[in-house]
Amino acid sequence: MNYFRKMMGTTKSPPAVSLFEILWSWLGAFLGISCVALVHYHLLGEGAELIMMIGSFGASAVLIYGATKSSLAQPRNLMGGHVLSALIGVALYQIFHDHLWIAASTSVATAIAVMHATKTLHPPGGATALIAVIGGEKIHALGYLYAVIPVGLGALMMLIVALLVNNIPKKRRYPEFWF
Amino acid sequence: MDSDSNRTFDISEEDIYEAMKEIEGYLDITPGDFRALYAIAHRHAITRLATSVKAGDVMTRDVVFVEKGTPLAEVADRMAREGVSGVPVIQDQKVVGVISEKDFVFAMGGEALRSFMAVVAHCLGNKGCAALPMRHQAAEHIMTQPALTVSMETPLSKVANIMAENNLNRVPVVDSEGKLLGIIARADIVQTSCTVIIPSEGMRPSSEGVA
Repeated sequence: MNYFRKMMGTTKSPPAVSLFEILWSWLGAFLGISCVALVHYHLLGEGAELIMMIGSFGASAVLIYGATKSSLAQPRNLMGGHVLSALIGVALYQIFHDHLWIAASTSVATAIAVMHATKTLHPPGGATALIAVIGGEKIHALGYLYAVIPVGLGALMMLIVALLVNNIPKKRRYPEFWF
Repeated sequence: MDSDSNRTFDISEEDIYEAMKEIEGYLDITPGDFRALYAIAHRHAITRLATSVKAGDVMTRDVVFVEKGTPLAEVADRMAREGVSGVPVIQDQKVVGVISEKDFVFAMGGEALRSFMAVVAHCLGNKGCAALPMRHQAAEHIMTQPALTVSMETPLSKVANIMAENNLNRVPVVDSEGKLLGIIARADIVQTSCTVIIPSEGMRPSSEGVA
């Protein structure tokens, strides 16, 4: 009985943020993703072996521009979560590349476990680990370089934009902590 | 203990929701989680304050006391004049016992009369004052001994426990040799606990002239 009662929830949704917060979140995400996307589409381009943009950066943008106070959005989590998850994703793809469903599931599950254990929990890291498996030929060809470019470098660019943009308004600040 | 501390902090999810609205930016916590966090943090704070306040911080230094050989008439007279309901009994500056109103009541009625009203009833229904047989006795004859004492460094929470467990209203504070330094009464603890948790007007730096 208690098991089903727990599914009802116990508390209510936090309040909505102000329009001010919405606008600054938009601006941060626009600038952060712009930087990574410009490198991806114009510096590297279609034919290049390297890429800069992966889907999980969209998720990171939600946190580091839209929920700047969250512990999930702090530099330690952003950088640590992405890089560790990328390494795990690549390793498990290389081990289980003949059984992709195992590679996909173990990479995400292990990424969460390792992020928790290292206090670097960053939800987009789960996507980063998964992309190492499902990202296609180009990503597989990178091997462990995937953890540096695009993952490490892309996350770093987004971090720099977050530091520059989030600290402009008086009422906003970033980060709450570094490590 | 748990239900007690919950009763005192009593912060509603509505309070938290309103507070969250006052803070700019998205807070990554639900009101329910915050409430749970606050309850635990509150308990930690109470424990910290309870252990950080020492007996020496709240004791009364100007203690009314009597000597072991002080006649009971003089003990009673001094307690009445000073308006205290208990005094430490001293021998060579060291605390050897405590005399309280309770000890007088017991002495007046022996084992049979264990309350003040029982003594009154005894006096009214009988012949004369029950205190008269004590006329030639001294403090040492009726004092509670050995006295339970604490040191300057004893946390106030422990002092409170000692009082509650032994049903005491006051505990002498002594140095390592047992010499009297001060006394803590129940009221001192209540007052300290209240001012620590809910600072009174006098404690706030903004309002001056309130003792």
